[in-house]
Amino acid sequence: MADTICRTLRDGGLEGEHAPALTIKDSKASPFGFDVFNYVLTQLSNYILAGKSQSRGLVVVAYSRSPSFYVDLLKRRGIDIASSHDWIHILDCYTDPLGWKNWLIDKDISQEASSLSSFCQDVRNLDKLYSLIIEQGKGLIGQGKDRFSIAIDSVSEMVRHASISSVAGILSNLRSHDQVSSIFWLLHSDLHEIKFTSVLEYLSSMVASVEPFNQAAFGQRVDLENLSMLEQNFRKGKFHVRFKRRNGRIRVMCEEILVELAGIKFTPVLSEDEIINQRLLPKVQFNLQLSEEERNERAKVVLPFEHQGNGKPIQIYDGRRSLGENKEEALVSTGKLQPDEDSGKGQIIYFRDSDDEMPDSDEDPDDDLDI
Amino acid sequence: MKAAQTPHKKEVPCVFGRPPQLPITKIIRLSAALLARHRRCSTPTAALSLPPRVCSLRPESLSCRLSTIYSWHFTGKTKLCSVDAAMATTKPRLSSFSRNLSAVSSSQTPGVKCGPNGTMFVSSGIADLDKILGGGFPLGSLVMVMEDAEAPHHMLLLRNFMSQGLVHGQPLLYASPSKDPRGFLGTLPSPASLKHDKSRDRESEQEKGLRIAWQYKKYMGENQPNFDSHRDNKQDYCNEFDLRKPLERHYFTRQRVNCVGIQDSKNLAALQEHCASFLAQHQRNDGSCALAGRIAIQSLCAPQCEHSNMDWEMLSFIKSLKGMVRSSNAVVVITFPPSLLSLSSTKRWQHMADTLLSVAAIPDEDKELAKLLSGYQDMVGLLNVHRVARLNTQVPLILEATTFSIKLQKRRFLVLECLNQAPVDGSSGSSYGTSGSCSGSSKAGTLDF
Repeated sequence: MADTICRTLRDGGLEGEHAPALTIKDSKASPFGFDVFNYVLTQLSNYILAGKSQSRGLVVVAYSRSPSFYVDLLKRRGIDIASSHDWIHILDCYTDPLGWKNWLIDKDISQEASSLSSFCQDVRNLDKLYSLIIEQGKGLIGQGKDRFSIAIDSVSEMVRHASISSVAGILSNLRSHDQVSSIFWLLHSDLHEIKFTSVLEYLSSMVASVEPFNQAAFGQRVDLENLSMLEQNFRKGKFHVRFKRRNGRIRVMCEEILVELAGIKFTPVLSEDEIINQRLLPKVQFNLQLSEEERNERAKVVLPFEHQGNGKPIQIYDGRRSLGENKEEALVSTGKLQPDEDSGKGQIIYFRDSDDEMPDSDEDPDDDLDI
Repeated sequence: MKAAQTPHKKEVPCVFGRPPQLPITKIIRLSAALLARHRRCSTPTAALSLPPRVCSLRPESLSCRLSTIYSWHFTGKTKLCSVDAAMATTKPRLSSFSRNLSAVSSSQTPGVKCGPNGTMFVSSGIADLDKILGGGFPLGSLVMVMEDAEAPHHMLLLRNFMSQGLVHGQPLLYASPSKDPRGFLGTLPSPASLKHDKSRDRESEQEKGLRIAWQYKKYMGENQPNFDSHRDNKQDYCNEFDLRKPLERHYFTRQRVNCVGIQDSKNLAALQEHCASFLAQHQRNDGSCALAGRIAIQSLCAPQCEHSNMDWEMLSFIKSLKGMVRSSNAVVVITFPPSLLSLSSTKRWQHMADTLLSVAAIPDEDKELAKLLSGYQDMVGLLNVHRVARLNTQVPLILEATTFSIKLQKRRFLVLECLNQAPVDGSSGSSYGTSGSCSGSSKAGTLDF
């Protein structure tokens, strides 16, 4: 499913829509968030280089790692750094976020990295950061209708220096900017209140959370029994993704992670019963509505009295058939003939109990049915 | 017995409902007598009685439908004399005899309908929702919609609400946390084109020409055309909106629509000012109803707004807004995502609302849900009605169902439907009670509606 995420980021947003935003969330039980972040970063870089993506540039806002780390990462993945000026830029918020080193000379950073990066020395002013990001992005793609993507190393670091509402503000502004194609960020969920995590989930269109492989084993004492389970947690994890699709529905997917030296591997999950879904069981009623066919059928039903009021003379069926109909029936089936003729021949004599009785009360109301 | 003639009048109050003891012909004679008598009077009346068991439709639905045509309806046992008396006076008698005011709409102001208990309604823009809420949103009430952080369905409700107001020419104040609130107006839907309207009208006319298995046609035939002609004269109270067609620009001129952005302001004072001045223009004077106003506030506690962590400020804003709207001819709709508020704040906000709705997202390609509900493929989301505003009365509205599915018909028209159970697969042998979806889900925290 990580590939699905990368493809969604690659495809970007439609005209007039907010850019798709991904939150990668981890915790100390399963701290592989950064590996996932690197994976997504390299995938997106590959797409950009191959020209398959909507965005033509990538701005990396590096809070928790130095720019040289990213340069090395891309080198390791086989991406040529020397010619990367035109599609990637790293905003360095790691070296000197608060402007303490006024005499900063870029001897701390390698030559390659410094050519790709620029400093941000005041991370508390998020408006300035916003304009910096946009400026760098526009610098990458030039004039025109092209777009660029943004990767924020760690939103957890960002919120150390600014308030939640300003972080939410800059993220939503970035998302709604016309030239931003996609944006993704990393979050360490146990560093914050639940409110901040839910704010970020509210703002993003995809939430990927890394969870421990063996949930039960975490936090327990190391015993011989659960040693193997704990060890599994050190290398493996579970990857849950919640997509907010355009049609308004939520798509939930799950994968397994294996972290190796070379990188991170995603494998589809083997057993399905671990998928946690929030179930809504509303009170369901029986279907009392009619479908189109059922409505047509109902319209065809012949009701008594319907033909009345049309101007024709009204005849009320009174339980006795006329002689003409009798004869037709006789032709059809002789068996029925006997009772009909009997009713013609025989008579039923009824004496009223009293004369007070209204003459209509012994009438069978169903006699009035006139079909 | 010859068929009685009634003089042609606009509104024909009728009585129906058959007391079981009285035979049919007696009722006919009674009605004939009444007709004959009232021919001499100025007030036209007509009586119609139907024996419930002869009807081919369910009696309850029959009485509901007929009650929309006739302005008096009466069910229950009675004797001849009390029927007479009931016709003469307007006081309710032994049986329930109530006047249906909802059928009468105020012809002075389009888009405003009179309801029971002296309330006036405006349409929410969604016909199904109006029906569920008993007429629409009452003027002077506060409607709150709880958003789902995972789906934008509250925007559908807001769009229909705002479009309906603009189509009726009702002034609108819109506040949103986005940088360009006015841009949202471009996504408002337009009323559906005439073609679709016509087909719906034909359908409703067919329903109006009720097929009742009773011989009333020979007495009632000449009265029927009256009710159909009513509908063409005035504007529709609730339009059907085509979500794919944007609203024409001439509807949102500056006088009618005022947009406010709430992201950049430090606190809610500016928004409160706007709302106060807007509502001051729609003060409710006794009786007369000038143009109704609508306020739509989207995502009041959105995280990018600075006031979003000032819990008590937001609460006091809502309280003052509710007080202001009570004495004005306006409706306020506020949407908010409850997941971004603390639990106690959420509860307080919920208590503030007169009408409380919530929208929920549904999982995609969920086989369990597809088995459980019919029409799962077309469903976009779920709507829950938690509370319905009841102004000027202590009687609550108890709904049969509180959860509805939001569907888009032909991807254009928003409809709300009751949740219906999908047909249980008889061959598998498992009934609803024992199937996995019901019992197995208890582990995952069911939300019981």
